[in-house]
Amino acid sequence: MSGGLRVGNLEGEQIHTSCQTEVEVKHGVGLHARPSVTFTRLAKSFPCSIEVAINGSDVWLNGKSIIKIMGARIRKGSLLKIRAEGILAEEAIRALKGLVERNFDEEKKHGRTA
Amino acid sequence: MAAPPRLKATSASPGVATGPAYVATPMAAAASPPSHLSGLTELGNAIEKAIRDLRALAAGTDPESGEIIEFQIEVLQDPTLMEMAGARIDAGENIVFAWVGTLDTYIRELECAEEDQLQARAVDILDVKNRVLSILTGTPIDDFPAGSIYVGKDMEPSRFLAHDWSAGGGIALYAGSAVGHVALLARSRSVPMVIGAGRFTTEKGQHIGVDGDSGIIMLQIAKQSATTAPHDHRLTSMASAADNGILHTADGCQVLLAINVNAPEEIDAIDVATTAGIGLMRSEFAVTSLGDAANEEKQFAIYRRLLDWTDGRSTTIRMLDIGGDKPLAGLIDVPSLRGIRLLLARPEIARVQARALLRAAVFGSLQIMLPMVMFPSDVDDIRQIYREESDALSRRGVPHRMPPIGMMVEVPAAALMLDEFESADFFSFGTNDLAQYLVASPREDADFALYQAKAVPAVLRLLTQAIRLAGKKPVSICGDMAGDPSLTAALLAAGIRHFSMAPAQLPAIRSAIVGLKADGTKAAGE
Repeated sequence: MSGGLRVGNLEGEQIHTSCQTEVEVKHGVGLHARPSVTFTRLAKSFPCSIEVAINGSDVWLNGKSIIKIMGARIRKGSLLKIRAEGILAEEAIRALKGLVERNFDEEKKHGRTA
Repeated sequence: MAAPPRLKATSASPGVATGPAYVATPMAAAASPPSHLSGLTELGNAIEKAIRDLRALAAGTDPESGEIIEFQIEVLQDPTLMEMAGARIDAGENIVFAWVGTLDTYIRELECAEEDQLQARAVDILDVKNRVLSILTGTPIDDFPAGSIYVGKDMEPSRFLAHDWSAGGGIALYAGSAVGHVALLARSRSVPMVIGAGRFTTEKGQHIGVDGDSGIIMLQIAKQSATTAPHDHRLTSMASAADNGILHTADGCQVLLAINVNAPEEIDAIDVATTAGIGLMRSEFAVTSLGDAANEEKQFAIYRRLLDWTDGRSTTIRMLDIGGDKPLAGLIDVPSLRGIRLLLARPEIARVQARALLRAAVFGSLQIMLPMVMFPSDVDDIRQIYREESDALSRRGVPHRMPPIGMMVEVPAAALMLDEFESADFFSFGTNDLAQYLVASPREDADFALYQAKAVPAVLRLLTQAIRLAGKKPVSICGDMAGDPSLTAALLAAGIRHFSMAPAQLPAIRSAIVGLKADGTKAAGE
């Protein structure tokens, strides 16, 4: 998550980009309350727009909205598409993908399902 | 109908607790009417205040509570909420309804989720909704006495967190969820809790027990000291006429006497056995602010209380008759519409009340009455709202029932055309407005009383014709004329058999009817 690398870059189009990735939710409880909070808070820390789509759906949901993310019923085995557009889009995608791959940092906290 | 001493429920947090029952009403009455609630800025400020309150609540609590509060804060900061509420406000919706409507959409989505984990979040969003609503309308979230057993459909996490559990106490929920945040908090604080008990009745203050080990609620356990029977005072007020409001004229024709109710507290001093039920409840006297009008749970509790009191007798609740000379506090952006016109122009108000009434209808013999109906299409349009809300409740699995929907006959245009009102299930004559509109006098006019008295023959003639036009549909009268013993004979002659009046008028009308025959003539010997 080295977003600072590009901030000072004078080439506007390099900063303002669109970017997309796919990641499988491999472990745990899926995106219920606590993992959703972690996800949307991270998403909101980036200035770009962030959207997600689940299991090949073409409905793109606001990745900064906890209600949308939680309501999307992202479970173990779900395929999560994340796309970002705007400033720091690449960094946002990298960070969010990392978070999903680390199982929303659930292990770092006490292993409760909330 | 004595409740069983033990109720099987489901354990959600172990341990045993006993104490006086606190039967929850989701929100207390509005302390002050909301002022100048109009825009997104006010909503934003209320949300900010809610977040500050939540942070204060989180300070010094355990990590479990902290995370639940963080979740609620994240919901409050959800950008789509402000977008949707903003769109509703732009479309002309009042700020309070814009907020409630937006959150209700999400609450319903969660309630309909298949996963228990998601369903259990509905009450969290409800909590967030009510927290902001209470700030917008100046209504505090009410705590309950320490050591109580909380009884309710569900419990909001903020209530749990704001409550002092050091004096003991427990939680018994009609519904609820073992994976809900409150269950989680209860387990971490060792507060005994059971869920899924189904709807049960217990008096406020009645000692009950919660056994969170075996999942049982013990109702009516040893009462503390000699508490006085709660119904004693009723019997003295009207001890002589416990005829259930069913009378007969001298020639044996049955006549029913019901009462008009404004604020729900009015029934406390009345013995229900002196009445045939409630013929008119003016809901605008119980739902007095925009906050109340937006508050489905509060309305549900009020209607439920009336239905519990009438104990199976007919209970007619009139939808909000607001507008015109009866403004609703906080509703400032409405043109001079009144009654049904306002309800149809602001369906978000009607829909909240419709849901509360549909849900309450399960608990008694409810009838819904529409105010100031003018045209048959008015009834059709409201009926459509009831159908849609009923379908939505069905989808959510919320118990409800479609009650009969009838109308006040208080506008001459309706009275003259009653045979055209096919979709009204019953008619009730509101003679005050009928007289007012017949003599073209505003009620606040100093001479209105005089005009009203002079209009009596015209009102009676209109009633007589309208009753013929009503055909076989039930007809009653709930205006002031119903409680005037000098007019009882004329009303009987017009064909009225069902009178609803201020409770204080019951004895006078009772005496008047006994001496009359069904055609209004005096019985022989009188």
